[in-house]
Amino acid sequence: MKHLNAILYSYSEILFIRSRWSGFLLFLITLLNPYVSLGGIVSVLSAYTFARLINMDNEFLKEGFYTYNPLLTGLSVGYLFSFTPLTILFMVITGILTFVTTIFLSSIFSYYLKLPVLSMPFVIISSLAYMASTQYSNLFVTGLYNHTYWDIQLTFGFWIDGYFKSIGAIFFMPNVVTGIIIASIVLALSRIHFLLSILGYYIGTLVIALMVGSFEQSFSDINHFNFILISMVVGGIFLVPSPKSYLIAIIAVCTSTVLLDAVLVFWSNYGIPAFTLPFNIISLSFIYVLGVVKFPQMAYLIKDTPEETIDLYLSNKDRYRGSWITIMLPFAGKWTVYQGFNGKWTHQGGWRYAYDFIITDEDGKSFKNEGNLATDYYCFKKPVLSPIRGRVVKVVNNLPDVEIGTVDKVNNWGNLIIIKDERNFYVEISHLAEDSIKLEEGAWVERGTMLGLCGNSGYSPQPHIHIQVQEVESIGAYTIPFSFVNFMESGVYHSNDLPELDAIVEPLHVDLKYDSKTSFVLDDVFEYKIIKNETEIDRLNLTVKMALDGTFYLDSGKGKLYFGKHEGTFYFYSSEGNDKYLNAIFQSLPRFPLTYRENLTWSDTIPVGRVLKAVPKAIVQFLISFVHNAFKINVNLKFSSPTKITSKISSKVLKVNRTAELEFSDQVGFKSIKVEDIELRRIESASNTD
Amino acid sequence: MIKKYEKPVMLKIETGMMNKFGSSPYYTRKVRTEIDGVKIDDLVNEHGSPLFVFSESTLRQRYKQLYNVFSTRYPNIAFGWSYKTNYLPAICNILHQEGAIAEVVSEMEYDKARLAGIPGDKIIFNGPYKSISALEKAVSEGALVNIDHFDEIYDLEKVAKNLDRKIKVGMRLNMDTGIYPQWTRFGFNLESGQAMDAVKRIVNGGKLILNGLHCHVGTFILDPNAYALEVEKMTGLMYDLESKFNIKLEYLDIGGGFPSKSKLKGTYQSPDTLIPSIDEYAEAISTALYRNLKGGHMPQVYLETGRGIIDEAGFLITSIVTSKRLPDGRKAYVADAGINLLYTAFWYKYTIETDRELQGTNEPSMINGPLCMNIDVIEEGTLLPPMEKGVRLILSPVGAYNVTQWMQFIEYRPAVVLIGPNKTVDLIREREDLSDIIRREKVPERLKIKA
Repeated sequence: MKHLNAILYSYSEILFIRSRWSGFLLFLITLLNPYVSLGGIVSVLSAYTFARLINMDNEFLKEGFYTYNPLLTGLSVGYLFSFTPLTILFMVITGILTFVTTIFLSSIFSYYLKLPVLSMPFVIISSLAYMASTQYSNLFVTGLYNHTYWDIQLTFGFWIDGYFKSIGAIFFMPNVVTGIIIASIVLALSRIHFLLSILGYYIGTLVIALMVGSFEQSFSDINHFNFILISMVVGGIFLVPSPKSYLIAIIAVCTSTVLLDAVLVFWSNYGIPAFTLPFNIISLSFIYVLGVVKFPQMAYLIKDTPEETIDLYLSNKDRYRGSWITIMLPFAGKWTVYQGFNGKWTHQGGWRYAYDFIITDEDGKSFKNEGNLATDYYCFKKPVLSPIRGRVVKVVNNLPDVEIGTVDKVNNWGNLIIIKDERNFYVEISHLAEDSIKLEEGAWVERGTMLGLCGNSGYSPQPHIHIQVQEVESIGAYTIPFSFVNFMESGVYHSNDLPELDAIVEPLHVDLKYDSKTSFVLDDVFEYKIIKNETEIDRLNLTVKMALDGTFYLDSGKGKLYFGKHEGTFYFYSSEGNDKYLNAIFQSLPRFPLTYRENLTWSDTIPVGRVLKAVPKAIVQFLISFVHNAFKINVNLKFSSPTKITSKISSKVLKVNRTAELEFSDQVGFKSIKVEDIELRRIESASNTD
Repeated sequence: MIKKYEKPVMLKIETGMMNKFGSSPYYTRKVRTEIDGVKIDDLVNEHGSPLFVFSESTLRQRYKQLYNVFSTRYPNIAFGWSYKTNYLPAICNILHQEGAIAEVVSEMEYDKARLAGIPGDKIIFNGPYKSISALEKAVSEGALVNIDHFDEIYDLEKVAKNLDRKIKVGMRLNMDTGIYPQWTRFGFNLESGQAMDAVKRIVNGGKLILNGLHCHVGTFILDPNAYALEVEKMTGLMYDLESKFNIKLEYLDIGGGFPSKSKLKGTYQSPDTLIPSIDEYAEAISTALYRNLKGGHMPQVYLETGRGIIDEAGFLITSIVTSKRLPDGRKAYVADAGINLLYTAFWYKYTIETDRELQGTNEPSMINGPLCMNIDVIEEGTLLPPMEKGVRLILSPVGAYNVTQWMQFIEYRPAVVLIGPNKTVDLIREREDLSDIIRREKVPERLKIKA
């Protein structure tokens, strides 16, 4: 089964899609031309067998990623030569050669250019095969014979036929009927791909038509399938689908017209078709350039279809804010953001990534009395706590706290402490009170270890905490972006984010109780009764397992629910497969903090595709590519008690409105999960209860 | 009005000079015509005299101030509202709204908190006497029970057996923190090893899970360092238990006892000078916590605050009933409120304000209550201008303990009002009448007086 998947995926991967049934359909279509079909199968099988011979990892082969190039080569060889035993040998040889080239190139491309190989190996090997074949008089080049096989003459006029023939040509079957079938498969799998194929084909063909002055000639050139591929790969695969990505795809197609015609002239001298060379060159250059300029909407997680990609991209964008350089707020209780990133006073230029905090009262004032003395300020001499785990590398402790209204222009940073994080960055906290740092350089600190007291030393108009992250250990070095984890702002929990100016924020430290309730150990089994109207309708057994990339998941047999803990938040990352109960758990509890505050609320966004079904899902996933923020599905969660979380899944536009309630077990996991009228009730075995 | 005749006396006139009380008597005259913008006249006309008045804004402000002082120093801090200082439901609910959980010391207080809608897991149950039925109720509702003595360990083990599960408990300690008098009556003594014995007993019993430590070093503690010592000893024991018995404690309850800005009898300086600011207590406690806790370990810390929050939010309006001249020349007034309503009068010297400007020179005066008892003295000696019958005095701070420890002795207890936002006045406890007194009284048929 695994081997079959790899082969079927090889077929669908040609259209940049991972789908078994469409792979199978595409395989059936190639049967219409038995030589082509046989060429494909022989090449893929030989590549696959060779891969097994050299002990390639199963997981890589499962994808079809390394075998679609041999498939294409096989199809092209089958297309060129008439069938003899010798041809089979040739197919085996070229198949293996393409496979080896694929691995060789993809290793080089990914290491040096961070690019995929697309169908470059196929272009190279097929071109070589075609060139070599001129020397092989024992092989019969069918190109010299009449290319007749099963064919229905169907025609709608050249400007429609042209599209279908071109899309058919991707599988070496440039005729209208196969074109219609392949186009239908594309449409069924992905409306975005279909739209892009139409856009790419017609715009590219029109440009060429204008250049050469003949529409009929332009529409009859089957090499225009390159436009279809460019459009799909740029607009729908490597960029997150959006009006902008569609525009870039169209621009890429337009630029490729020059290349296509140039290649045709040059290549045809040697009697070689252009294959997908223009597609490869243009797509790779565009993707490379977009990567170099750090184009924000690159799709780093490419899913099975562009629809899934954009759905995941949009929900991830909302879900995972902040950065990878994560620190805690360096204090206890409620403090106010006095200056954030790019602050108007001093957080400028190389020092723009920094935060200042003060304490304010209900009137927004930071001091009592007249505010003429440092001691009038609420934050003065309040403890400053370590935001990270790490080692103290620098301490300045002997500068006086300056009088209010004056500043120390010589020792800008005042008393300070620099800590090196385990993850290899440095945190500098400045303006501490004189002689308040009781730690020595070299001391190890945990999150929450007291470092010193907030003061007014250095360039400080009023007592405050200044915090910044830098790449080097020197005092006042240039700053780098970071974000704060686990804090609360007006009763709302933030997992990883940057508070706004004037926001009143409070750090929430991880509560070991919630940490231990979510310590799922490999092979733990959780049994649930599914109850509806107080009668048991089903059972659910969840086993804790680990994926190859180290992510843990709950396996129900029918689906997987990925989870993990990061920086004080428990996440259900995603659900995979078709288990409606796992899906329900994911939807109702995408995340929760590993700490408790009364009435603490938080929110999350989940992919549309996890909530909607079939037709509405297809329509909405297509529409979100045009208007990214129109169809959000929000989950609003709240601690209704220390052991209960209530959740509301809602979207105004999509008319989704569901409620759920979850209850923690006394030990590990969840006692009950109620979604609407269905309840998952844990069957606690005797050994689990104390 | 006919002026009352009074036998002439000779008084030493003090004119703006410093005196032994540290300030000029003339300027120490304090007049208060309103509380939170509501006129004293209006309050008394509506609700009678005497009258307890609480200021919601002062109460909330005081809570926030205290909470911020601690919470901006240590992240896992929670306040347990000490019910015994004032358990009028309106007062408690204000504090619960502000985020305090309940700290109760008797079954009655526990029931009161539950009746107010406080769930069991937000109640700390302390005190030397908890009946077994009270314990069973509290445990089954998830309350934090702090064990006071060995018999309570046995009782709780019985409860655990009845409920057929292990139960989490806390344990009260007493210790030497340099405070005199040292409170040794409550809980298990640390220095003598009694506390460790109790832990061993709890561990061996196998039915109780030790979850927290509690201590309360005293009341009206004037030395912040006492708390630092308390924290040091408690954390020391906590880590000791962790290494010896692998007990992982979830909370440290360091009690209360923070003073309010009230003048204690026998003190010379003003409370502003004498009483350390709450910041000093918070700094002592937080510094001690950080110094003694392992890096990054932040157990829940409870503070049981009462007096420090409520005292200054309470006022008592009382009216002068009469005055007389004592043989020693002092002026003695009788007011309609006495120690029946002011339990704290035994150790506080209240701030006394009059409801109007008064003429005449200050003279040494004493204020007595309405009770027909010699000890009913609110103020033994202070300087006041001559006051007519009907003048009202506003005594403060009286928010803590009085409204719980007041007694119904020959008088009805007065009404209690709360001044809320925008000068709203709400009656939060009605003035008692005869029906309250006789409601529970029974007269056997044979003793009834026939008409």
